[in-house]
Amino acid sequence: MDDSRILKETLRYLGYGNGQPDGRTEDLLHQCMEELKRACSFRHICRTVPLELDQDHIVTELFRTESRNLGKNLKGCSSVLIFAATAGPGPDQLIQRYEKIRVSRAVVIQAMSAAMIEEYCDCLNRGWKEDFEKKGQYLRPRFSPGYGDFPLECQKNILAGLEAGKRIGLTLTDSLLMMPSKSVTAVIGISESRQLCVLSGCEACEKTDCEYRRN
Amino acid sequence: MDIRKELKERILFFDGGMGSLLQERGLKAGELPETWNQKRPEVVTEIHKEYLLAGCDIVTTNTFGANRLKYQDQVPEIVRAAVENARQAVEEAAVLTGKCGYVALDMGPTGKLLKPMGDLDFEEACHIYQEVVIAGTMAGADCILIETMSDGYEAKAAVLAAKENSSLPVFVTMTFDEKGKLLTGGDAVSAVALLESLGVDALGINCGLGPVQMEPVVKEILRTASVPVIVNPNAGLPRSEGGKTVYDIDAAAFAGEMKKLVEAGAAMVGGCCGTTPEHIRQLVTLCSGIKPVPLVKKNRTFVTSWSHAVEIGEDPVIIGERINPTGKSKLKQALRENNITYLLEEGVTQQENGAHILDVNVGLPDIDEPEMMVRTVKELQGVTDLPLQIDTSNIEAMERAMRIYNGKPLINSVNGKQESMEAVFPLVKKYGGVVVALALDEQGIPETADGRIQVARKIYEKAAEYGIEKKDILIDALCLTISSDSRGAITALETLKRVKEELGGQTILGVSNISFGLPQRGIINSVFFSMALQNGLSAAIINPNADGMMQAYYSYRALAGLDPQCGGYIERYGSQAAEKATSLPGEEKSLGECVEKGLRENAVTVVKKLLEQKDPLEIIQEEMIPALDRAGVRFEAGTLYLPQLLMCAEAAKAAFELIKDKMLSRGEVEQKKGKIILATVKGDIHDIGKNIVKVLLENYSYEVIDLGKDVPPEMVVETAEKEQVRLVGLSALMTTTVPSMEETIRQLHQKLPEVKIMVGGAVLTKDYAETIGADCYCKDGMASVKYAESLFS
Repeated sequence: MDDSRILKETLRYLGYGNGQPDGRTEDLLHQCMEELKRACSFRHICRTVPLELDQDHIVTELFRTESRNLGKNLKGCSSVLIFAATAGPGPDQLIQRYEKIRVSRAVVIQAMSAAMIEEYCDCLNRGWKEDFEKKGQYLRPRFSPGYGDFPLECQKNILAGLEAGKRIGLTLTDSLLMMPSKSVTAVIGISESRQLCVLSGCEACEKTDCEYRRN
Repeated sequence: MDIRKELKERILFFDGGMGSLLQERGLKAGELPETWNQKRPEVVTEIHKEYLLAGCDIVTTNTFGANRLKYQDQVPEIVRAAVENARQAVEEAAVLTGKCGYVALDMGPTGKLLKPMGDLDFEEACHIYQEVVIAGTMAGADCILIETMSDGYEAKAAVLAAKENSSLPVFVTMTFDEKGKLLTGGDAVSAVALLESLGVDALGINCGLGPVQMEPVVKEILRTASVPVIVNPNAGLPRSEGGKTVYDIDAAAFAGEMKKLVEAGAAMVGGCCGTTPEHIRQLVTLCSGIKPVPLVKKNRTFVTSWSHAVEIGEDPVIIGERINPTGKSKLKQALRENNITYLLEEGVTQQENGAHILDVNVGLPDIDEPEMMVRTVKELQGVTDLPLQIDTSNIEAMERAMRIYNGKPLINSVNGKQESMEAVFPLVKKYGGVVVALALDEQGIPETADGRIQVARKIYEKAAEYGIEKKDILIDALCLTISSDSRGAITALETLKRVKEELGGQTILGVSNISFGLPQRGIINSVFFSMALQNGLSAAIINPNADGMMQAYYSYRALAGLDPQCGGYIERYGSQAAEKATSLPGEEKSLGECVEKGLRENAVTVVKKLLEQKDPLEIIQEEMIPALDRAGVRFEAGTLYLPQLLMCAEAAKAAFELIKDKMLSRGEVEQKKGKIILATVKGDIHDIGKNIVKVLLENYSYEVIDLGKDVPPEMVVETAEKEQVRLVGLSALMTTTVPSMEETIRQLHQKLPEVKIMVGGAVLTKDYAETIGADCYCKDGMASVKYAESLFS
């Protein structure tokens, strides 16, 4: 995992825009990085399953749903890789600790652990991309429940189908929050042809005035 | 035959995987396996029978996920059907083999994380398991297997439910990773200590790993456990092949690896995911002739938290005494004002200073002690991973805290009085724990060590009647202040030595009592502490923030050969001189600068000096508030960022604490501008935004009533009414929880139309906030301060 990318994303989540942290904040960032590296236990689980796609209707072994955004993302794919990844309970435990006694540290850990799980997923994605390309298959950008009109409700079946609770300790609350909170589930389309990719994740979101929006 | 008895005589075999066999027979992806107990009972029975014919002794019912979260009110029927299927298989197999197998009622995790990390309440978890236990026991199961647990707290809920509702033997297996950790972070030793103290009949490991990867964890468990150990691994590690999960070792290799674990001492073995009747057949063939390794009592004393165990034995441990209102007016005030943050800070400071266990005593005449104890224990376990000492003479407080405690606690205390032992020992037996036993009885505190040793013997004997072992009792040798009893120290020291040497027990002492009534108590305390350590003290209740005490402790360990290469001593004291030097330049700065720059330690140093010359109110008006305002303005202008704003708030808060102390000592009370309720709405368990707002508002002299997270609308309304609050702040992070924010606003407007509501959170916008009826949308923490200022000025 690339520390400099994690730091850059952490600052973006903290609202720095183009601003730079001062010396004290830099110290804090480095301390949090060390603490998080000890606390995180990254785990993931994935399955590749066939995809039936009819416009917005998406059917896989794990979930079925209707979503225009996801349909567009998966167009031309015959199967999908579905995965769940988590940084484990460590970051949540640290956040829970520090938000009571040192909230400045809590916000940095909150932002940085979010950046770390994203970076972990990026690393996984790069590995998968290589593996599949060897087989002549190409991956789409990952797309998560809650992005655009991909219903959050699908989390239930995805996590159950992956046995995420038993395998990597990832659970859902009644309001569909993932716990541990620094976790990601996503669908990655697999196609036989290389295709320039449609927008994903942040860029696919319709909230264009978001202060955290990339680029 | 009784399974407990049989366990002593030979290796017992569990069955293997169920899910993949059901899938082979047509269970579809996404279809819940437990439904087949009723839909396809013949298939389930057939699988059980295959395992029995392969030679297993115990079949586990197809009830892994049979709980009310998935099956609502159908749980009893499903469980009954599942037990009947297993029983049917046992009977059919017995005809063929002449051997009668056992039926284990299988219970897996609920699939939800318990509070405070998740949203499942501990008692709710107990109820979920209770339902399964009752149905399974009535249907005729022979034992209960709680399995694939990755959270000790959830395992505790399941074991309590089993013990409270059934007399069947209880077995528990947990899932560890290659590093020997549970998915929730706990280690193997703490899991073993917890489960043994809850009185399980056997414990061990299942799922997650294959037998090869399990070996180190199994050996760790065998070194720690005094009860039989279970090992039910997967058929190696999984990989995905053509969309299917396959495992990497075959039946013969599985059996070969398992043989090593049986020879190392595993007493009950079987398989989990990916294992089949063939795996079990080969396992039984290879291992049924092996004589079980005899069980050895380990006699190790452990207290645990959710993450780790602290061993009390040769190497003395420190119990931080600061969370105890006796003689501490600030703590008393914090308890009366429900100011839990103060207690949490006391806890964290003691941990930073080297405490291994934290004493928790919240007894005050005018508060609801059981309620406060439960809350404090829960909150402390949220911020610290240290084990706690539940310190109370209120039996209700003791029981309720022991019940919800996440781990095996230290209990303070029992004594030699009949009444005390009869009240405390049943709790220790039921909930598990190590208990402090004061060497006194109906006759009072014996004057001599002889007398105290006699009481200790009596306590050990009585505890044994309850099945509590000597290792789980710490004898408090009691020290009376030398200012009134010149032999106070000598008697205590002799008692320590004799408990260790004559009785082979562990000891504890509240060290600082020795100097009560004397000047400069720290001087006497640290010397007496050294003497006590020398005489065999195992656990010391002291103030870890007192340098002299910690110096005595680290020196003793280095001198007594308990600190290899003096590593602990050097780590503690090697770099101290250098640190002091670096903090000096900051002292030149003004208080305002320290606050604005977020230099907390410097702000404290400067305000101390300032308070000697200047009026507290003047300091607030002339230094603190302007600095906070300057930071606020810069934050809004985008030249100062959130971490800096918060460091600034924390520096201010630390300075305010000292200013408040000063005012208190002069009999003045800090004037609050108004009361504000803050809450994270129901369903939402992300609390950080609300906590940011809280710190900022408190710095601007508002009294914040913090209702926490996942707060029901009714509770917000009720508190607003009772406390006559004019402003309520609500936070919600997810689109899924905004509806409960809307509902809270609706109820507030309906019952208390005069109350203003400000809202904030990631998914909210100004428009959205207006739509759901909020009076003010706060895009960040400073916006809430502004709104409050406009409302209350």
